[in-house]
Amino acid sequence: MARQEALHPGHPIDISPALPAAAAASRPRPVAAERWLIWLFLLPTVLFLVLLLWLPFLQGVWMSFHKWPFIGEPEWIGLQNYRDLFGAAYFWTTIRVTLLYSLSTALQLALALAAALALNQSFIPLKSVWRGVMLMPYAMPPVVVGAIWMYLLDPDLGMVTHYLLSWGIISKPIYWFSDPLWAKWIIMLVASWTFWPFMFIILLAALQAIPESYYELAEVYGANLWRRFRVVTLPHIRGAMLAAVIIRIAWNLAKIEQPFQLTGGGPGYETSVLSILTYRFAYLSGDFGMAFTVGLLLILVTFVLIAPFLHGFQKQIKQARRR
Amino acid sequence: MAENIGIRVHNLRKTFQRGRVQACRNVNLQLAEGALMVLLGPSGCGKTTTLRCIAGLEQPDNDDAIWVKGRNITRLQPKDRNLAFVFQDTALFPHLSIRRNISFGLDMHKTYGRSERRRRVNEVAELLHVEDLLERKPHEVSGGQAQRVALGRAIVMEPDAFLLDEPLANLDAALRVEMRTEIKRIQKHLGITTIFVTHDQEEALSLGDVIAVMRDGEVQQVGTSHEIYHYPVNFFVATFIGSPPLNCLPCHVQTDNGALNLASQAFRLPLEAAGGTASLRDHGEIMLGIRPESIAIAPERPDTVAARVSLIEPLGSRTIVILEAEGVELRALVQGETSVREGEAVHLRLDLGRAFFFDNAGNRL
Amino acid sequence: MAMHTRRATLTPKVLSYSGLAVVLLIVLIPYGYIALTAFKPAEEIFDVRWLPRVWSLDAWRYAIEFEQFHVYIYNSMIAGLGAAVLALCVAVPGAYVFGRKQFRGKDVMFYIIVMALLFPFVLLVVPFTILWVKIGLYDTMPGLWLAYQVFIIPFAIWILRAYFAELPRFLEECAMVYGCTAFKAFWRVMLPLAKPIITSLMFLAFLVGWNDFLFSNMLTTGQGPRTASVIIYVSAVGGERVEWDVLMVMTLMAGIPPVLLYILAQGQFLKTFAVRSY
Ligand SMILES: Nc1ncnc2c1ncn2[C@@H]1O[C@H](COP(=O)(O)OP(=O)(O)OP(=O)(O)O)[C@@H](O)[C@H]1O
Ligand SMILES: [Mg+2]
Repeated sequence: MARQEALHPGHPIDISPALPAAAAASRPRPVAAERWLIWLFLLPTVLFLVLLLWLPFLQGVWMSFHKWPFIGEPEWIGLQNYRDLFGAAYFWTTIRVTLLYSLSTALQLALALAAALALNQSFIPLKSVWRGVMLMPYAMPPVVVGAIWMYLLDPDLGMVTHYLLSWGIISKPIYWFSDPLWAKWIIMLVASWTFWPFMFIILLAALQAIPESYYELAEVYGANLWRRFRVVTLPHIRGAMLAAVIIRIAWNLAKIEQPFQLTGGGPGYETSVLSILTYRFAYLSGDFGMAFTVGLLLILVTFVLIAPFLHGFQKQIKQARRR
Repeated sequence: MAENIGIRVHNLRKTFQRGRVQACRNVNLQLAEGALMVLLGPSGCGKTTTLRCIAGLEQPDNDDAIWVKGRNITRLQPKDRNLAFVFQDTALFPHLSIRRNISFGLDMHKTYGRSERRRRVNEVAELLHVEDLLERKPHEVSGGQAQRVALGRAIVMEPDAFLLDEPLANLDAALRVEMRTEIKRIQKHLGITTIFVTHDQEEALSLGDVIAVMRDGEVQQVGTSHEIYHYPVNFFVATFIGSPPLNCLPCHVQTDNGALNLASQAFRLPLEAAGGTASLRDHGEIMLGIRPESIAIAPERPDTVAARVSLIEPLGSRTIVILEAEGVELRALVQGETSVREGEAVHLRLDLGRAFFFDNAGNRL
Repeated sequence: MAMHTRRATLTPKVLSYSGLAVVLLIVLIPYGYIALTAFKPAEEIFDVRWLPRVWSLDAWRYAIEFEQFHVYIYNSMIAGLGAAVLALCVAVPGAYVFGRKQFRGKDVMFYIIVMALLFPFVLLVVPFTILWVKIGLYDTMPGLWLAYQVFIIPFAIWILRAYFAELPRFLEECAMVYGCTAFKAFWRVMLPLAKPIITSLMFLAFLVGWNDFLFSNMLTTGQGPRTASVIIYVSAVGGERVEWDVLMVMTLMAGIPPVLLYILAQGQFLKTFAVRSY
């Protein structure tokens, strides 16, 4: 406004020099030293994640549009990889197994919740010992746990087969890892056994943060065990539970070592969860383009699976902020 | 004159979010070396921002805003300013002992040797009566003690000025009064220029040599407690200071046969009692402000106002009487106890000689 | 009334103890069995029984003398240590800035970092292998350290940021008024305060290196720094006949150190894993 007036023909006084100064002053000046520190501190993180994560990822997206052999020239083929994949029967087997495998998260949650609730009671003695024991499967390398179960489930020498036979539950040894019926269930169960303590520790931490007075209050109002759980416990651990489920779904789908070790993705494609399929294309067929095509679909499946929980978690955050 | 100015804040302007939030519009303050100034104002008026600009924790928009002892320090780093800041939340360093907390500033600058630093810390600890706590951690001392330690950390630096941002806000009432006296004592003893921020007017009135009242990022009035209370420059200062609060009544000035009258919903009073009333003649609608202690319950006379007692609030040495006159609520402050009862009809004498009159813009007439 | 109280306290007791017992059995039976297997002589592997008839250290001797397993354990340790040190150097400053400073694009950047937590890392194996070969990191220890960071950094920043954000306000400003630069305030005040959580993240980062199989397997060869995980995988899957007693020794050797770490630091881990829903 003022500037227009100043420029208006015939206006005798030019007031414009005052304006730039005023405009400059309205922008807050950062404390120079602090700006410097912020960018310096951020640099490694950003560099690492861009160079190690997002760039390779983008390169991978690029590769998925190519026939990209291990040796030799890549060739642009557009969406051919995707078309091939959707047309292949094994792909749909893979999707089915992946969904079953991700059900492991539910089993982990059940175990973790039971253990955390039990251990959170004040009357339990030797808490830290039990806690330590429960963390064991998660603490060890997954390959170690895999090796243990390979031994226990071995059809000839394994303890499990032995007891099932001697109790008459099965009549002849089952080749758990190569049986088309059993293999996918076994990798799911072993994954649950390995990874449930991660959820357990998150839930226990959340439970311990609930002030005792809430329970006392609920008791004063005559709430029974179930109501106390519903009204006090559950609302307090919902956020942690959702976060744990989200992370676990994503990590279960991404971690390949156990199915890789136990079944190698077989028999056929019966235990080739998407991450294994990626691996098979990359290292067994040397088809990097296809490997990444599968990988991108894995991301897609992951996000579809975690989306409802992510939504719930964000709602939880909003509620917590409002409080 | 110029050399013994301790702190000068000159046209300080500070905006946030690219100018959308104006925390300080135009703050001007000047205080003599060794003086104690209280910065008083409602929440969000820019007191903290002003103080943080002085300390260098925020960068003012203009380049010549902050002067200490005649030096422009506006763009200096906080660490190079030699000013001591005490925060509202104590902000002791939780991982350091009380001793290391007090000597933190000395340790950073290393102007003195180890034994000298130790001696100074001991001296300050004694001054503040925390000498027995020196080896404890901050979580092992009480709130009042922690605040003393925070003061000690400031004192030991021998800074050019103390900047105290509501240092007593988190203490309980009794401790607050005690610490208030103590701060004043120490400040006089050390003779260090001090700015004390508060939004507690009682604290402000009792503490400051000078009080600056702020509102919306601007200083409204600077003066002694007496001046601020009895000669407020505008409606805001008058209503902001005083407890129980100022009674405010919209009135209009009428001229009857040359005599000035003040008329409102509740009364019509002759104005000759008030000194300098001539200037009121030109204003039709005005705002009358009258302090509760200037309203007295009196026998009926032509210049009294009829009212009904609606509530009585005894405060011990004084009593607040809340009255209602023709739909207008008034508060009177009576020394000692009062014989009137709730619901009783009484008559009030308004001491217009000690009342304030404001125009529509809120300026005092 | 008394009856009511008794019942009210009995139900949770019964439930808790039985829940605890079931979970403990599920965990302990397998571990107990394999721990005992490690002390059986080779010929006893063929029948299923709990206690060895003859207690023997043959499997241990074989694992160390013949398989040289301690070398791979050492490799795992170096892999874990390097990963932890590198992760902290990168993640601590980053998380500090995200937790306590204001700058443009902060929320978007943080979102991108945390989303990486959900990223299927198996996707990176292919591009990493190609890149590592190109820049000479293939089959080297630093190559492993670098690769592990993609697991560690997003998680570490997620956890650390919340911790830094919850430390009392004004601490750095206070330090700056009393003579610190912005960096010194971080170094002298914030870092010591975050020491417990940093220690616990260091343990976790170490375990990522120690436990990893994916990158260790893909980015190294037999000549390079193979870690214990890879050897266990090879021993379990590779040959025609598996030496179960030796393999169980290996699982104990690779499995016990992380368990000890967890037991040592479990209190701290609990705090670390306290998810804040804000
Ligand atoms: N960093 C910031 N970003 C944006 N706005 C800010 C910031 N700091 C202060 N403000 C705004 O500036 C104004 C003045 O804030 P300031 O903290 O100075 O008030 P105050 O007088 O100290 O209030 P109180 O008595 O509540 O402490 C407020 O409206 C506040 O919201
Ligand atoms: Mg403030």
